[in-house]
Amino acid sequence: MSGAVTEVALEQARQRRRLWMTSGPGLFWIVLFLLIPSLVLLGIAFMSADDYGAPILPLSLQPFQQVAGFSLLGWDAGNISILLRSLQQAGIATLVSAVLSYPLVFFILSRPEPIRPLLLLFIVLPSWTNQVVRTYAWLELLGPNAPLTWVAHHLHLVAPDLGIAPGSFAVTTGLAYNYLPYMIVPLYASAEKLDWTLVEAGRDLYASGAKLFFHTVFPQTLPGLLSGVIFVAIPAFGDYVVPQLLGGDKALMIGSLIANQFTETPDWPYGAALTLIMLVVTGLGLVAFRVLSRRLGGAEEASI
Amino acid sequence: MIPRNVRRALAGFSWPIYVLLYTPLALVAWYSFAPAPHTQGLSVYAYGVMLHDHSVFAALRRSLILAIGSAIISTVLGVLLGYGLSRFRTPGAKGVLANMPSLIIYTPIIMPSLVFGISELIFFNFVHRFTGLLGAGLGTMMIAHITFQVPYVTLTVFARLAGLDQNLFDAAHDLYANGLKSFWHLIVPVVQPAIIGGFLLGITLSIDDFTISFFTAGPGSVTLPIYIYGAIARKGVTPEINAIGTLMIGAVILLAVLHFIITRHRARGAELAAKGTI
Amino acid sequence: MSSTLAIAGTEAQTGARGAISLSGITRIFAGTIPAVDHIDLEIKAGEFFTLLGPSGCGKTTLLRMIAGFETPDEGRILISGREMQSVPAHERPVNTVFQSYALFPHLDVEQNIGFGLRMRGVKSAERKQRVDAIMEMMQIGAFAKRKAAQLSGGQRQRVALARALVNEPEVVLLDEPLSALDAKLRAELQIELLRMQKRLGMTFIFVTHDQHEALVMSDRMAVMSKGRIQQIGPVLDVYERPRNVFVAEFLGLSNIWQITPISDHEAETPLGRLTISEMLPAARMAMIRPEKIWLYSEDAAPYGRPNQFFGIIREAIYMGAATQYRVEVGENKFVLAYDTNNQAAERSWRPGEKIVVELKPENIMLIEP
Repeated sequence: MSGAVTEVALEQARQRRRLWMTSGPGLFWIVLFLLIPSLVLLGIAFMSADDYGAPILPLSLQPFQQVAGFSLLGWDAGNISILLRSLQQAGIATLVSAVLSYPLVFFILSRPEPIRPLLLLFIVLPSWTNQVVRTYAWLELLGPNAPLTWVAHHLHLVAPDLGIAPGSFAVTTGLAYNYLPYMIVPLYASAEKLDWTLVEAGRDLYASGAKLFFHTVFPQTLPGLLSGVIFVAIPAFGDYVVPQLLGGDKALMIGSLIANQFTETPDWPYGAALTLIMLVVTGLGLVAFRVLSRRLGGAEEASI
Repeated sequence: MIPRNVRRALAGFSWPIYVLLYTPLALVAWYSFAPAPHTQGLSVYAYGVMLHDHSVFAALRRSLILAIGSAIISTVLGVLLGYGLSRFRTPGAKGVLANMPSLIIYTPIIMPSLVFGISELIFFNFVHRFTGLLGAGLGTMMIAHITFQVPYVTLTVFARLAGLDQNLFDAAHDLYANGLKSFWHLIVPVVQPAIIGGFLLGITLSIDDFTISFFTAGPGSVTLPIYIYGAIARKGVTPEINAIGTLMIGAVILLAVLHFIITRHRARGAELAAKGTI
Repeated sequence: MSSTLAIAGTEAQTGARGAISLSGITRIFAGTIPAVDHIDLEIKAGEFFTLLGPSGCGKTTLLRMIAGFETPDEGRILISGREMQSVPAHERPVNTVFQSYALFPHLDVEQNIGFGLRMRGVKSAERKQRVDAIMEMMQIGAFAKRKAAQLSGGQRQRVALARALVNEPEVVLLDEPLSALDAKLRAELQIELLRMQKRLGMTFIFVTHDQHEALVMSDRMAVMSKGRIQQIGPVLDVYERPRNVFVAEFLGLSNIWQITPISDHEAETPLGRLTISEMLPAARMAMIRPEKIWLYSEDAAPYGRPNQFFGIIREAIYMGAATQYRVEVGENKFVLAYDTNNQAAERSWRPGEKIVVELKPENIMLIEP
């Protein structure tokens, strides 16, 4: 008996050794170069800054006071409004991409099966080009003297000597453009599995138009929509390139604010505290969203 | 399933969106053929300027080294990791401990790239200050790129292995293949499409990235995206920038079409063979 | 194996090439209920042995432990007299045919069959010769260059079998290899499998949940339930003389009653008093197979024999070669009878007809609960 028991123990040890031999290097890499650095970053948020903005002891909560808007000059609502603007931009971009995605996804599904992958590829393709290139490309449409700006001038939507970019509208457009595929792909995956007999049953029971859509199609594609919302909202909220290139000073988002603390006017503890707050807001959003989606019954696929 | 009038409406809505998706990119290409100074009409003047700019070539070389190098290393790490996670379980591990590997893998995917880039910046800075190693440059960029690619390669390989008949592994052992032999003669050939796919995905992710590169780069490691970003910040969009942008867009489109044709061709071949024989 | 050889001594038996001996084999998965519970089993060399049982009875786990894919928590496995506990799967002299066939998707038929030989380092000339020979024997040479995805179910099955046999293992393990095929192909391959086994003389251990398949193919079989062997023996014995209620019900249809013995040859049953040839004072249950029940029209019942009852046909299910009857032999007392539709059969009955049923004393078997 004891021989067999050690045999089982040996087998378990063998399994463990193989697991570590194969998974070890990759896991070690991610822990060393991602988890530890993020913990360091979070730690810096609780330190003081020296004259050059580098972190020094003692520990301090001053970075968080700075985040809340307190400084030597008194309180300022700037940071709060930047946070709110970032949330608003991410929200609108998510909404726009969701609204665009439904017709696009069903358009692809209405085409013959062999060409569907191609149609999907053409949606995803722009997002494979470099972030900077595909973002500055919008300056060609929205910048001063660009075609759409010219149209906007004639409609008196923009002052004559300015472009649509830089500005909030350009940022929203850029974010939606950048992250549209992140909405389309999960939505397509769930729409592809759609049970059309339910739609037919709905039609058979006298539903039509919007009613038919919201009672038969929408519930079935909800899991895809919910994952899409997460995939778009999180990166859009923390985006750096789009507000930098298309936003200008008045459309500053939290990403640029954080980056500034590490580049132009260094203040690492302040930047780290901002990052922490951003992560907390993202996390809270995720949790709230999970609760919401579970209540809506689409929780499983939304959890990635 | 979709009524004809609805299909028509969908098409009427969608084709303009497709056009809109490519309009900005097309304009980049269009403006890259801007007339040479003191002339009129289209010209390849901007391309000429670009070709004589040594810093562009240096940046291109670094971008290629970064993309290919990081994709190779992350493919090796990701294939091993995906294989290990799909085949072996930690005996006795429960709850958080058992889910630890997947938590570790998902973190880089969920974490905003700005946060990741800044964490790396600080980490490399500290390590450099205390050990003299990991000074900001192509090396640190490489490390960062590998880190965010590994999870994607891992998941690609994992998905392929999880979709296989689990008896295949037993069958290999049954047919006298030990662990190493079954890895070479079964796992590697079977996941080969996933390995190639993971590698191409790694390259694509590396080419796509700006934010993480920006924060991990050093003064001597300007890559193409950083070069473009810097140039726009200094003097706005110029025809030369558009020329570089056009080439980058063209390269990605070419890669994608090539990949599509290869996979299509392979799928078509298998389909035909199957039809012809049964 | 004839019975005279069996007397020659178990030592010689268990040591023979292809013989298997299991003692005290136990396997407990994460929970606490053993999947396989202290199983002792001797399988003779060259035997076609079947493990029969419902899904979840532990038969596949037992097979996987013999193959080396699972490690028993307790017990010993001997193959050809050699201890197997510390021998990994790839060094055991056994080969497996999987339910899903498990053909390697990246290799063609020829390469699939040659995989084992290649892994063992057999030279390519010899490998080719052996692979060609087995492909010819299995009549699959025409598909040699096809991938698994391009084969039909029956072809895949043949390739999987060839892939195991080409290695000339001492024991071939078959895990429900025919369960994915349609009925006709299945019957064909059953015969082919049997023929192959007799020709090559290897030990075959065959796992199935299909009692009909087990009856057709095996020399001996073990009926398993809840990780234990319920009965083991030659097919005929197990079917004709089931040891307990589970075996009786799992292997075909049966009439089963609780009984109270009252004399050497008589017992009280829900049907009434029955004469039973073999009687034990401690017996609690008895059974009779439906095809062992005789049916007569009222005026044709033989006179003066025990265990005859008047009855009314309540249900007649015509099944081609035979008809299955449900006969009411008293208020809410039924027996199930099975009558072949051959020419000698008196006639077939319709629901509502009055008949006489006879349960011959020698056909009634005592069983354990």
